[in-house]
Amino acid sequence: MEVLASGRGEFRMPDLDAFRAHVREHKERRLVSKVMTEQEAVSRFVSDGDYLSYDQNVAVRGPGSLFREIIRQRKKDLWVAAKFSWTDVSLLVAGGCVSKVDVGWMETGPVINKALREGRIKFIEWSNGALTYRHLAGALGVPFLPMRYLAGTDTFEESGAKLIKDPYTGQTLCLVPALNPDVAVIHAHQCDVYGNTRVFGAGVAPVEIAMAAKKLIISTEEIIENEAIRRQPQRTTIPYYFVDAVVVAPFGGYPGSVPGLYGADIEHWLEFAGSQFQGKTDEYLEKWVFSVASHEEMLEQRVGAKKLLQLRKAETVREGYYE
Amino acid sequence: MSETLTLTDVEATICTVSHLIEEDKLYFVQMAGTPLMALLLAKRMRVPEVGYVVEEGAVAPNPSFPLPRMMLGASRSHYRAVCWTGMNMVDAHAALGYMDYGLLAALQVDKYGNFNSTFIGGTYENPERRFGGPGGANEIASQCWRTLIMTKQQKRKFVERVDFRTSPGYLDGSPGARERAGLPPDTGPYLIITDQALFDFDEKTHQMRLKGVLPWTTVEEVLSKMDFEPLIADKLEEVAPPTQQELDIIRAEIDPGGFSTSKGEWFTIDAATGRKVG
Repeated sequence: MEVLASGRGEFRMPDLDAFRAHVREHKERRLVSKVMTEQEAVSRFVSDGDYLSYDQNVAVRGPGSLFREIIRQRKKDLWVAAKFSWTDVSLLVAGGCVSKVDVGWMETGPVINKALREGRIKFIEWSNGALTYRHLAGALGVPFLPMRYLAGTDTFEESGAKLIKDPYTGQTLCLVPALNPDVAVIHAHQCDVYGNTRVFGAGVAPVEIAMAAKKLIISTEEIIENEAIRRQPQRTTIPYYFVDAVVVAPFGGYPGSVPGLYGADIEHWLEFAGSQFQGKTDEYLEKWVFSVASHEEMLEQRVGAKKLLQLRKAETVREGYYE
Repeated sequence: MSETLTLTDVEATICTVSHLIEEDKLYFVQMAGTPLMALLLAKRMRVPEVGYVVEEGAVAPNPSFPLPRMMLGASRSHYRAVCWTGMNMVDAHAALGYMDYGLLAALQVDKYGNFNSTFIGGTYENPERRFGGPGGANEIASQCWRTLIMTKQQKRKFVERVDFRTSPGYLDGSPGARERAGLPPDTGPYLIITDQALFDFDEKTHQMRLKGVLPWTTVEEVLSKMDFEPLIADKLEEVAPPTQQELDIIRAEIDPGGFSTSKGEWFTIDAATGRKVG
């Protein structure tokens, strides 16, 4: 296959056989409970230097509680996929967790600009679609996929994509390498103890991310019976054998919303934004992450029952998710 | 005294774009923001059945208004869709040629409609200001048949050369440039819409062409807010001004709290003529 051009962006070389070997060696085939605390899940399955993917983002059905635990455990040198993200990257950079970011879209601000100036983070350019598609390649167990965009742009030049001559038609085509994250964290509506997971709603790419990842942590609003899963198998989005850990986390998407359950805490966002512009993200992290031992403690001591009830009330739609 | 309207440049652009939405076409709308607001305004005012997809994978929703502040939360904006799927799926719909129009916002645009949403000033390695990146703009601008791009009428936004070509317009403008680069044929930017003007592109040279101006401004003023000289259409179109009803819907239902739409430059126009007042 003739390569016509290559972007200069860094990427991890896909290694399909290493992935298969990892699955053979480490993935649990039996129906066993994988329920564990967030502390155990993050400590066992997130390592310094890992590539981390997640779904959806801090604003909608995101793994808010797992992000905070990753920061609390002071994980370092992560490489993250910022596909369709919001302040996710700013939060993890403020927490000192990230050294590389594959960019689809992210909210930028003082934290990111400062880290970039000081050389603490490096960006590689893709797009929301390209990153999501790279996870699809990873999920299909193939080393790359062809597509018809990125070409002709500086984004291509700063990505790890290649232009090739299609060996069938002779047309110019763009290839992107598969992305198999070391670890993925996904927040779900429901899950059984084995990891059979239900994500409701339009959700970017939870299935692709789950399948592409070597290690997978699911945090869930609630645990449901395996019997309930089996009565409506079509509602299952991720089957159990992909899942390494199940963390029970009601309001785990906080401060983001989980469609069908609760709205986003706008005041919390403004507090984070304010802390960025005043150079006080350390105080923000101390209050919301380091001074509490767990997600549960944060909900009790920092958010409070009154606010949680308000957020539940703010979500007026259940149709399509639970009905 | 005649009636007046007071609005922001952001609201003005949203209204102008909303007038362009066609009910018999499919739209791919980038993220939650001004492009989606423009489409939703059209849907509320004039074309209730218009079909669109968003990047997260909601297909043809009928949103439940009012939307939440800052458009946070998906349940109301994805309400009563015909299908909830994911990003790879809707991107494939565009790749297959189903999406007539892509609807996007850009930070900076050049005369061939190439646009930037990555950084402004300095170099890629050491930018003065880093921005969020393409989001879905690259795939939308590459794969939809026609792209509508929203931006502000400012000299630093209409530049000879964008600081970073995040997403493709007509590249160097030469015939077949997009196809040679590897993009699907017969695609490209169709209109650029600002708070003061509408631009299209010359079919042969692919250069940006002033197509019409809003009633509160003049050709001279628009040209003074561009770093390059666009072509100018032989006959300039009159572009209709917003109405009070449109502004009411934006403020009450689409962007309550004004997170996106209240920021910017406020100005007052005569409701009937659209001319600037005061």
